[in-house]
Amino acid sequence: MSAAVMRLRAVFEKTGRAKYISHLDLNRFMLRTFRRSKLPVWYTEGFNPHPYYAFALALSLGFESSCEIMDFNLTEVMPLDKVRDALNAVMPEGMRVVSVAEQKLKVTAIANATYSFSLETEDPASLYNEIQALLSQEEILIEKKTKKGIKTVDIKPDMKVERCTLTDRSVDMELRLPAGTQTNYNPTLFFEALKLSGSHTFEPAKIRRTGIFCENNEIFS
Amino acid sequence: MTLKDKIEKHLLEIQKPSRYIGGEVGSVIKDKSKVDVRFAFCFPDTYDIGMSHLGMKILYSLTNERENYWCERCFAPGLDFEEIMRKNDIPLYALESLDPIKDFDFIGFTMQYELSYTNVLNMLDLAGIPIFSRDRTEELTQIVIAGGPCICNPEPLADFFDIIILGEGEEVNLEVMDLYNEMKKQGAKRIDFLRKAAQIGGVYVPQFYHYYYKEDGTIDHVEVSDGAPERIQKRIIKDMDKVYYPENFVVPFTEIVHDRVSVEVLRGCIRGCRFCQAGFIYRPFREKTPETICRQTRCLCENTGYDEVSLASLSTSDHSGIDPMLTQLLEYTAAEKINLSLPSLRVDNFSESLLEKIKKVRKSGLTFAAEGGTQRLRDVINKNVSEEEIMNTCRIAFEGGYSAVKLYFMMGLPTETDEDIVGIAELAQRIIDLFYSIENRPKGRGLQVSISCATFVPKPFTPFQFEPQDTPAMIEHKQKLLLDSVTSKKVKVSYHDPNVSLLEVVLAKGDRRLCKVIHTAWKRGCKFDSWSEHYKFNQWLEAFKDCGVDPGFYAHRRFSYDEILPWDHLDYMVSKDFFIRENKTAHQSKTTPNCRERCSGCGVNKCVGRDCF
Repeated sequence: MSAAVMRLRAVFEKTGRAKYISHLDLNRFMLRTFRRSKLPVWYTEGFNPHPYYAFALALSLGFESSCEIMDFNLTEVMPLDKVRDALNAVMPEGMRVVSVAEQKLKVTAIANATYSFSLETEDPASLYNEIQALLSQEEILIEKKTKKGIKTVDIKPDMKVERCTLTDRSVDMELRLPAGTQTNYNPTLFFEALKLSGSHTFEPAKIRRTGIFCENNEIFS
Repeated sequence: MTLKDKIEKHLLEIQKPSRYIGGEVGSVIKDKSKVDVRFAFCFPDTYDIGMSHLGMKILYSLTNERENYWCERCFAPGLDFEEIMRKNDIPLYALESLDPIKDFDFIGFTMQYELSYTNVLNMLDLAGIPIFSRDRTEELTQIVIAGGPCICNPEPLADFFDIIILGEGEEVNLEVMDLYNEMKKQGAKRIDFLRKAAQIGGVYVPQFYHYYYKEDGTIDHVEVSDGAPERIQKRIIKDMDKVYYPENFVVPFTEIVHDRVSVEVLRGCIRGCRFCQAGFIYRPFREKTPETICRQTRCLCENTGYDEVSLASLSTSDHSGIDPMLTQLLEYTAAEKINLSLPSLRVDNFSESLLEKIKKVRKSGLTFAAEGGTQRLRDVINKNVSEEEIMNTCRIAFEGGYSAVKLYFMMGLPTETDEDIVGIAELAQRIIDLFYSIENRPKGRGLQVSISCATFVPKPFTPFQFEPQDTPAMIEHKQKLLLDSVTSKKVKVSYHDPNVSLLEVVLAKGDRRLCKVIHTAWKRGCKFDSWSEHYKFNQWLEAFKDCGVDPGFYAHRRFSYDEILPWDHLDYMVSKDFFIRENKTAHQSKTTPNCRERCSGCGVNKCVGRDCF
């Protein structure tokens, strides 16, 4: 068995039709992608060897992303852009590797992620006001499903609004939410809180993960 | 809002949305402004099932090799998505372009099983295409075409299809499309095209054939109009090494039923099991060389990234070069960490060296199709497998570490008695006894014998095409008898719903009067009939009643040798005389040797102009 000589981290986009690939299917998809790429990818040792790869964070079905992270190992040293190109050559529409680099930080260093989305509505101006009202509350309580059952959490302290703009058909926002091995907040928690707090109907659209960060808000790499 | 936006608006409300949006690796996208003929290849079941179908993969790639033709895929939506489509005016669309299939030149269905017939109507309706051929436009567009094994008796579907393709499609499909392309440019009408298409070998245009019935319900005669031929012969490919085989498959994101590379190793079958339609309609027997098989395996594995490959055929172990083939294949698959699976192995030529090779690949259960519980009955159906061979194979398998055996049987076979049913249980018991008599049997796990018992469905183009099917009451009696005869807990018995098998035989052997029944049943909500949770037998019974059609006329009546059968004008290269001869031999409990041993004169050699072996 060849040893892993390069420990690599790919940043990839998942957009367009590819956003309907579920996390489970993404696993199977990547296996075939690696096989098609003919890269000297490192296989797990054991009874049933398979290419080793791991995703840093799961992405909800239907979300786009410009910053998904996948770790894998190679058994030969190769130029990094060659690795990226080999993967991109066999990727379908919507899946694109942006960069490949050596792994720097441990996955446990991930602290938060940013999400952009549009809240489409008939009357964006009053939705905008409702959002502002919600954000000015002392706390934003919402029921969250956890492994142990349903739990009420206050998402206010851990949530940061990076952007909130009004367009003629929607309110466009970018939110920073806790992510990683400890706490994970999905932007849908915010949508639910907004639905409960206001009288407005809106449709969340174009949800996209835009960045994955460490504690100090440095980009995770 | 574009159709794509409309679809996407609802995709997250349904199960496995990636089935409805395309974009898979290997799917073919073309610039539609540069395409002359658009073909929607429709599979009348869900994506998960249809995407597993090898014929679609072949014809999809073959058509798309032509720069100016574009073949796209289309499947029956699940009930959750169908509801959304109907509510939101989303017409049935093709997965590559996401364009409505009603605007396509060809809407092609592959008919793999009878219980998918209502899905064809449902898909046409979802597409906004008139269900009956006669209601479609006079213009040259929207040609609804069909092929596949069920089409060997197309009469129950005759009113819905404009064109039916008999036999293998690799050549004739393109001939039909070429004719269409040429006539479309000349501004021809639909009827002109259909008349000309009917002159192509293997093309059947049902509307040019008119049925007249006798007082007793049997067919009196068939009149042919519009210059169409009296008899239509199926098409076959002469050389399996030269025939087109895809170098790439569409690789789905979501898991499908057969999620692997599939390489066809041979067509046809030498066996002549008298119940088996595939064994006759795919004659003559033709093999690919081991070199071709290996080349195609390697190419497909590399292009798709699959780590599993399966060899497809009716009986892989009948390949004359099975040993060199497996040696070469295993060399490649082992090095590349690819799993090789070999379905369709026969008991009688299951050698020790073959088993040794398979064991290298994977240790799973062994499956044997014994079909009949006693030697007498196995002789009747010409399943030339002796008990000794079954026992020998089991012994080799047990000594090699197997501890699970699955046995397939049929119930309701011609001449079957209670003794034959009890024989199934006795055979299972003798396998158990054998297992425990072997000293080096696998330790730790006990033996598991699974008996899967299907109800016999007599099919067109088999020696049993004349046979009646047992009534559901008779089948239920036999099922109970089998359960009572099994005494060991190591034997697990499963069987089919006889009411499903009843519909299968009626649709398989029916004539044109069934079109109305199928339409009525669909109107009454029947679809996905092959899914037990969706099967509505009562609605079917009501539909038969509404149309004044007696299912028993097709299911429980013996068709006489001299009556005109609904499929008699279709020539599958095996003669009716041969089927009659074989039927008589069956009733004498006599076997017929396989084609390699001795030619039994089925007629296919005369049609292709050479001996098969």
